[in-house]
Amino acid sequence: MNFNWTKEQLEYKLKVIEFAKNHLNNDLVQKDLNCSFAADNWQKCAEFGIQQLAAPKSFGGQFDEIDILHATLAMEGLGYGCKDNGLPFSLNAQMWTVQMPISQFGTDFQKEKYLKGMASGKLIGSHALTEPNAGSDVFSMQTVAEKVDGGYILNGKKHLITLGPIADISLVFANARPKMGKWGITGFIVEKGTKGFNQSENMAKMGLRTVPIGELTFDNCFVPDENRLGAEGAGWGITTSTLEYDRCCILASQLGSMERQLDETVKFVKQRKQFGKSIGDFQSVSNRIANMKLRLETSRLLLYQVAWLKSQGKSAMMEAALLKLQLSESFVESSLDAIRCNGGRGYLTENEVERDLRDAVGGVLYAGTSDIQRNIISNLLGL
Amino acid sequence: MTEIILEYISKILSNEQLEDELQAEDDLLGGGILDSLGMMKLILFIEEKFNVKVPPEDMTIENFMTVDHITTYLNKK
Repeated sequence: MNFNWTKEQLEYKLKVIEFAKNHLNNDLVQKDLNCSFAADNWQKCAEFGIQQLAAPKSFGGQFDEIDILHATLAMEGLGYGCKDNGLPFSLNAQMWTVQMPISQFGTDFQKEKYLKGMASGKLIGSHALTEPNAGSDVFSMQTVAEKVDGGYILNGKKHLITLGPIADISLVFANARPKMGKWGITGFIVEKGTKGFNQSENMAKMGLRTVPIGELTFDNCFVPDENRLGAEGAGWGITTSTLEYDRCCILASQLGSMERQLDETVKFVKQRKQFGKSIGDFQSVSNRIANMKLRLETSRLLLYQVAWLKSQGKSAMMEAALLKLQLSESFVESSLDAIRCNGGRGYLTENEVERDLRDAVGGVLYAGTSDIQRNIISNLLGL
Repeated sequence: MTEIILEYISKILSNEQLEDELQAEDDLLGGGILDSLGMMKLILFIEEKFNVKVPPEDMTIENFMTVDHITTYLNKK
């Protein structure tokens, strides 16, 4: 295992941080309050080249092939520089669960039509897997795709779909062979405005409020054959293969957020004076800072390990589960510690400390809850 | 090859104690013998044991529904 980053990778990370600090942190308190999506910032990211990290050069990407190590470090930088945790979250959701599968499994027609558009920021894509009755047990989905002449008829409902309310295209998973259970799961690219396809309004939520999340419904929605992603029944392979990339990069941005949070907290406890000295001089405060640092660095090691394994084309089932569990739970704990270190100031929304805690809670739920990660880990240990 | 895979599934991967002895033609995922994680573990085992790479696009019913399907797939590689 080699954790040495190249000079180019480190320089690019710094460029991302600089870009994010200068261009993505405008009016965040208001955006969070209004649950408003920053379409302008999304476009700025595209112009900078963020979405290009998840596409090969021939279809609008930065490099000949997608470079997971480069992307991981870049997304970490984005999380550090961008104080809107929702933006990196939604970017990662599109990049690794829509762009990546289309890049891996799509036809040239699909890549030309959809991948290029997403890499350039002209299109926004959502990944529609979860259903009201199929969350952790996602392959028990009830949305069906009936084969008809020239395509499929989709019927069903998806919920908790990141970017669902505003997406131009949705990568939807439905069962095309219900009698075959999980082997029937198939991916389809559905365009906004397709007859029988409805996208709900944004739903209010605790954190990540700048990300539109909602429901998608399919009522006799016809999707042509040319929009089927991969073979009929390939949905299971598609979702499992992209999950580790998704975890890796979404969590990279969270790691960046944790590092920013730690730096800001250290800065605050050094300058805040009580009883004639910096509050950081009090052991009860400095111990909290030490715990935050420990969580950050243990999470970082796990993240880089998963990124390295994926860069080698290796499986990272255990490592990705450990990473997801450790990093997401750590972000919640450290966010609470950051508030405690800031005292009453940290409780006020205007100071942009408490928002991290609200945003962090989602991390222990999406992309496999902490309970599910523990199940995976213990299962892999033979329990 | 068939025996090695059958033995691995029977001893290591099975969700529960199987009522009957596992057969090469049993539906692994659809029949509830393996869950999704179990199938991923099996694929990892196959890659390491037989020194092959199973790309995601090959993870279909045509290749992995039963142990018979798996051996046919591996023999083609």
